[in-house]
Amino acid sequence: MEETITIKELNKEFYDPQRGTVKAVNNISFSAFKGEVFGLLGPNGAGKTTTLRMMATLMQPDSGYISIAGFSTSEKPEDVRRSIGYMSSNTALYPRLSPREIIRYFAELNDYPESEITLRVEQLISYFGIGEYADTYSEKLSTGMKQITSIARTIVHDPAVLILDEPSSGLDVIVSQKIHNYIKDLRDQGKTIIFSSHNMGEVEKICDRIGIINNGKLLAAGTIENLREQTGEYYMENIFIKVVNEFEKKIVQ
Amino acid sequence: MKTLVILYLKDLLRNKMLGLMVLLIPIIFYPLIYWGINQFLMVKAGFSDSRELTLLYTIENDEFLQLEDSLISVKNLILERSDNAAGGKDRMKLIVSKTDGLPFYSVILDSSNSNHKEFYARIENKLIGFYETKKKELVESKGFEPEYFDVFQIETRNSEGEHEIIRKMLSLLIPLLSVISIISAAAAASVEITSGQSEDRTAETSLTLPLKRESIIISKLLTVNIYALLAGTVNFVFLVVFIITIFSSLITGVSEDMTGFSWSEIFSLKIIMIALVSLLLTSFFVSVIFITASGFASKRKEGGVMISPFTAFLTYLPLVLVIPAIDPNIFIAATPVLNISFSLKLLIENNTDWIFMTETAFFSIIWLVIIYKLFFPFLIEEEVLLGYSGSSLTKKIKTKWSRWKKRLP
Repeated sequence: MEETITIKELNKEFYDPQRGTVKAVNNISFSAFKGEVFGLLGPNGAGKTTTLRMMATLMQPDSGYISIAGFSTSEKPEDVRRSIGYMSSNTALYPRLSPREIIRYFAELNDYPESEITLRVEQLISYFGIGEYADTYSEKLSTGMKQITSIARTIVHDPAVLILDEPSSGLDVIVSQKIHNYIKDLRDQGKTIIFSSHNMGEVEKICDRIGIINNGKLLAAGTIENLREQTGEYYMENIFIKVVNEFEKKIVQ
Repeated sequence: MKTLVILYLKDLLRNKMLGLMVLLIPIIFYPLIYWGINQFLMVKAGFSDSRELTLLYTIENDEFLQLEDSLISVKNLILERSDNAAGGKDRMKLIVSKTDGLPFYSVILDSSNSNHKEFYARIENKLIGFYETKKKELVESKGFEPEYFDVFQIETRNSEGEHEIIRKMLSLLIPLLSVISIISAAAAASVEITSGQSEDRTAETSLTLPLKRESIIISKLLTVNIYALLAGTVNFVFLVVFIITIFSSLITGVSEDMTGFSWSEIFSLKIIMIALVSLLLTSFFVSVIFITASGFASKRKEGGVMISPFTAFLTYLPLVLVIPAIDPNIFIAATPVLNISFSLKLLIENNTDWIFMTETAFFSIIWLVIIYKLFFPFLIEEEVLLGYSGSSLTKKIKTKWSRWKKRLP
C-alpha cells in the first residue's frame, strides 16, 4: 500500500500565561495509506486539532517530521497545501459568498485548470445536491448545508489527501449520514482521509484504522479489530476508556 | 493573490452592516470639524500675544504723520514706513490718504490669518481714535456740525485675493476629511478581515491554500486599502457636500464675499490627484496599523477594542491638535498619517515647504522599514493569523506579546 502520510515524533507546545507551557502534542507518530480513512479519536483538548493543523501547515511543529503526498511540511509547505484539502471543525465559509462562488474561488486559488473550473464546480454542486441553495449567501444556510458546501470546497481541486476536523460535529443524523457516505465515496476514489472525532460510533463506522489520542499522546493505533484484540473489549467506547485508563496507570506506576 | 483579494473584497462589500457603519461613523465627526475650524481661528489667536507683526505703512499727507506716535504704542507691532511694499503673510499694509479733510484708511491683510486679525483689532482702535481727534479739530476750525462726520469707514482688502479664506479653510478640511473617512473605513475593514476571519475560522481555510503567508497578508492589506479608498471616497463626497451646504454660511461670515467663488478654484485636477495620492498613502499606513492591532484579537468585538485607541489617536491628533494650530515641524513629519495629511494641507495652500516634504518622505521610508522588519514577521505569526490561545483578551495580548518579544533584537 502506498503511504501518503508519514508523521514521526511530532511535538507541539503552547505557552499559557497561567498554566505555563502546555504540551498539546507529545511525540506522536503514525502513517496513513492511499484509499484509507484514518480516524483520530479523542476527547476535546486531546491534541487532535493541533495535530491536524500541523499536518495542514497551519502551524509549525516544535519538532518532528510530517510528510504528505511525498512533501515535507517544513520544506515544501506550498506543495503540501496543493496536495491537501483541509476542513476545520467550523464550517469556515465566507458568510456573504454563495456556495457556487466559494467553490469556484477555491478551485481558482488551488490552481485548478481554468478551462475545467466551471465543469468541476457544476459536477460538485450536482454530486453534493447543493443546486437548490448554490446561489444563496452562506450566512443564510443551515449548519448541514454549510458543512456539505465546506466539503465540496475542500475537495474542489481534487487533492490526494483530505484532512477533516470533526466534519459531522453538531449535525443531525441525516446530514451526518450523508457526510459519512461522501467520505466513504472519496476513500473509494483513492483519497487518503484523516478524520478526527470524539464520537466513538462515528469513528467505528467509517474509519479503516483508528488512533486513540489523549493529553497530546497517541495511546494506541490500529484497525478496530486490532484494538479489540489489544483491549479485550468490543465496543469502541469501552476500548477508548480501557486504553486511556491503562495509560494513566502506567504514569502513576 | 488577485482571486483572494476579489474574494475578500466581495465578502466585505456585501456586508451591509459594515457598509452602514463605515458611512455613519464619520457623521459623528461633523460637529468636531465645525469645532476644528473655530480652533483654527481661536488657537492661533491664543499665540498672538507672543507674536510680532510688521506693519508697512504709507501716509500720503504729512498732516497725518502723528498717527505714527499712536501706532507705536501697539504692543509687538513693528512699524516700517514704505511707499511701495505690499502686504503678505507676515506683514500688513496700511495706506492713509486724505478725503474731505479727514484720514481715509486702507488696510491690506490676510483675513484667514488670526495674527493679522488680532493686530487689526488693536490698530483699529488707534485709527478710530486718530480719526476722532482730526474730526474734532476740523469741526472746531470750520464750525461744522459734528454729525456730518459720524460716518466712518476703514477699507480692508485681502492681501492674496478675496477667496483666500475659503482656500485656507479647505486646505485644512480636505486633509482632515481624508484622514477621517479613510480611518473609519480602514478600521472597520481591518477588524472584519482579521478578527472577523479568525472568529469565522475562514482564516484557516485561506492559510491552507498553496500561497505564501506573506501573500495572504498582502492580500488582506490590499483588500483593506481598496475598501478604505472606495468607502473613503464616498464619505469624502458626502462630507464635501456637507461643507458646501453647511459651511458656506460660516465661510461667508468670515470672508468678504462668497459670490463669484467657484469650487473649481479648490477642486482642481492637481488637488484631486494630490488628494488621491494622500488617501492612498494614508490608507496604507492605517491599514497596516489596524491589521496589526486587530491581529491581537480573535473576535470582532475584541478587534474593535484593540483598534479603538489607534482610531482615536489617528483621528483626533490631526483634527484637534496639530493641523489647525501648528506650523510644519519635524515631529509632525515623523508621525505617520499625520505627516501625509499635513503635506496635503501645505500643497493645497500652495506652500511647498520642501524641507518638511523631504522629512516626511524620509520618515515614511523609516516607518516602512520598521513595518517590514518588526510588524510584518509578527503579522505572519500563526497565533496572529489564526487568533489562537487563551480565553480572555488580556491573556491573548500577554501571550502574543511574549512571542513577539522573542523576535525583538
